[in-house]
Amino acid sequence: MYIGISAYNHESAIAIVNKNGELLDYCKEESLSRIKGDQSFPKRALKRLIQIHNIDSSIIEKVIFYEKPLSSFLIPLKIASKSLPGSLDFLVHQLRNFKNSSINCFLDLNKFMPGLENKLIYIDHHLSHTLTALLYSKSQENICSIVVDGFGDRSTSTISFINNINNIRELWAAEYPYSLGLFYSTITDFLGFAINEGEYKVMGLSAYGNENSPHARLVKNLIKWNDITKNIDTEMEYFSYHKSVSNSYSEKLTNLLGEPRNPFVPLMPDDKYFQKYADIAKGAQDSVNMILKKIFEHAYNLTNSNKYLFSGGVALNSACLNSLAELSFVDELIVPPSPGDSGAAIGSAFYGYITSNKKPRKILKPSLFPSVFNCNEQLEQVKKIISEKFELISDCHHSALQITSKLIKNGEIIGTIISNSETGPRALGNRSLLCDGLNKQAVDTLNTVIKNRSPFRPTAPAMTIATAKKYYQIKSELKTCYLSMNATCKCIDNNISLDFPVTHIDGTARIQIVEDESILDQLLCILKPMGIEILANSSLNISGDPTCFDLIDSLMVCSLTPLKYLLTDFGLLKKK
Amino acid sequence: MKLGCFDLMKEKNILRILHETLHAEHGSALEMLAACKATSRDNLVYGYFEHAKDEYIHTKTFKKILATRIENTHVEIARNYRFTPIGIIKKGYVDNNGFLIETLKLKDFVAYVYTNELLAKKSFERILKLIKDNKRDFDSILDIMKDELRHHGMAREYFLKYYPNLQPYHLFLYKLRETIKNKTRRIYYKNIEFLEIIFKPLYSLLALLGGYLLLKFNHYHFYRENINLMDISSKSLL
Ligand SMILES: [Fe+2]
Ligand SMILES: [Fe+2]
Ligand SMILES: [Fe+2]
Repeated sequence: MYIGISAYNHESAIAIVNKNGELLDYCKEESLSRIKGDQSFPKRALKRLIQIHNIDSSIIEKVIFYEKPLSSFLIPLKIASKSLPGSLDFLVHQLRNFKNSSINCFLDLNKFMPGLENKLIYIDHHLSHTLTALLYSKSQENICSIVVDGFGDRSTSTISFINNINNIRELWAAEYPYSLGLFYSTITDFLGFAINEGEYKVMGLSAYGNENSPHARLVKNLIKWNDITKNIDTEMEYFSYHKSVSNSYSEKLTNLLGEPRNPFVPLMPDDKYFQKYADIAKGAQDSVNMILKKIFEHAYNLTNSNKYLFSGGVALNSACLNSLAELSFVDELIVPPSPGDSGAAIGSAFYGYITSNKKPRKILKPSLFPSVFNCNEQLEQVKKIISEKFELISDCHHSALQITSKLIKNGEIIGTIISNSETGPRALGNRSLLCDGLNKQAVDTLNTVIKNRSPFRPTAPAMTIATAKKYYQIKSELKTCYLSMNATCKCIDNNISLDFPVTHIDGTARIQIVEDESILDQLLCILKPMGIEILANSSLNISGDPTCFDLIDSLMVCSLTPLKYLLTDFGLLKKK
Repeated sequence: MKLGCFDLMKEKNILRILHETLHAEHGSALEMLAACKATSRDNLVYGYFEHAKDEYIHTKTFKKILATRIENTHVEIARNYRFTPIGIIKKGYVDNNGFLIETLKLKDFVAYVYTNELLAKKSFERILKLIKDNKRDFDSILDIMKDELRHHGMAREYFLKYYPNLQPYHLFLYKLRETIKNKTRRIYYKNIEFLEIIFKPLYSLLALLGGYLLLKFNHYHFYRENINLMDISSKSLL
């Protein structure tokens, strides 16, 4: 067994790969702690996985940490030192926070799972991203990997070429503090959204912006691609993330763009300042699109490749993928279902598997639902909660699906908590809130009443490939991305889909093509004769909380929101 | 509305307390949810579930109170009072070593809930005094206090039912212990603040020296151009 760990910087997670090269289980710490963005050592995830799979420590061969901890600690310090004495507080903070840095993985392992620390090894951070992405590709040879994130353990973006699984050569890197990810996070912060969480909101907001507006142009001047050095140029005097603990941007940015948004004032499309903030978001989104294109072009010049893996936190920006797929030299673009740091635990675990044997080894593509769970695990426990607060309308899978479909047809919203959970941040049906994707009222209720989301954020549609082709401009280059809801696509020109409630203001939608035999596929099969071929699909959670992991989490969502129905492993529940 | 210097300080103090309480309430919600999941007796599971639900609602109420109070404050002040879930760990409302149910014995856990609910009610009384000018907020906090008292009663009942050998005075002892712990925690943090004054210059000096040393440090071995990443030593921390 090989255990991959991601922790300390973003959502932490554990992945376990068995001796046959199969992802046995994967679990994010936030799923269990219920603390969104939990970056502490994934003690609960580790304990759960070892327990439910009955893993004896003697069969654990290696524990692989997803970055080089000393590099990741020293480089920000070195860069901050250049701004001394102005960066003194930052340096003091970093030094004092030494015990929360990833160097402590060894000690934390020793504390929570004594003995395992002796099996700990470290992998280059961007390599862990690359390997994660590679698992979802059919071929594991002659493919180019592009990783773009905030900051790993030395660089912020890299291009490497995979000759074969044992030979992955890095060809280009952008060094910290020049970072596309941190640029986007800073704008997120300026717009009053939380870093590492509000980036989706910026992406949704950007659709309302005007690319030629003064604010968008100002933002686009902050980060550029330098055609001579072939690297990213950031106007660092507008940013402070590399030298301040409390501020990601400097006073100069405030002078340039005006007052930042007050995070406590709700942002509504008809507010006085809405357009200004949307324009700023648009500027940031356009910069990301432009620089990613340049990185891809550079990658093509270096490798001549037509196949690309794309991962790192910036790959979560689903709005940029469509234009990347339009690049003439891109034939295939693969983004793993969890391209960010938590997913990198998977690549790390596979690193242990690959390197433990000299000859190239077979790798099995991980499922889209790797986090092992079944509601029956908790059924006995929640007997009283269910009998007091719910009614089991159907305890047979087939009839539960039939009734669910009828309810959807009648405009109801259904929560699902079925079997294993998804890898990434997007719910693909097993931990979802679903309703008829063309019923505007139902979609609005799902979005604002149940999820409490800002009205400028779109809800994603799920459908079969045949349906998608009728309404949306599907790109063959992105076919794996659509399976995990990783890419947006445009509506077909003059098509009725432009008016669908699941289509965003800019005529795009982050569609999910459902996998055969998945729960959504089964539902769509029953719904089709009823005239429904598109489901609105959002993650099952309350805004600000992690997506539900177990049955108790989902019962809690039902109790705290107006959600009435819950489709589970043991049948359909209705709130009393 | 422009605030005078004294009013601004007072308002900041209220915001700080509300911000802390919000984290504390969310922390309790998570503690109760964890307890709910760690328990097998279905009556108890139900009790903890309901308790967690109440705490989630309290969190939501405090979020609302804080947001309406802060809406018209200057943005640079407002930014300091954002709620982040991971702040619950950073501020110590959920221990880095695990939830209470994961680290305490069940009996101690119930005793903890019993005493803490009472202490929570007391701290709400202090908040009530601070925000008495706002009728709506005042009433919502009164409602929360009723919940806390009910939680306290439930924990007490459970305690006496499942540990019949214990007498009410045991509960008093538990309460005393928690109160002392709380007080020492406060003294500890006060001390830390004091030590901070002494140690800050020392830390700064160290950071300054370290920083200038790092500038001399060549980080060429971080470059990986043309290197096979699979060949980098997996033992190395760099
Ligand atoms: Fe990363
Ligand atoms: Fe409470
Ligand atoms: Fe309580």
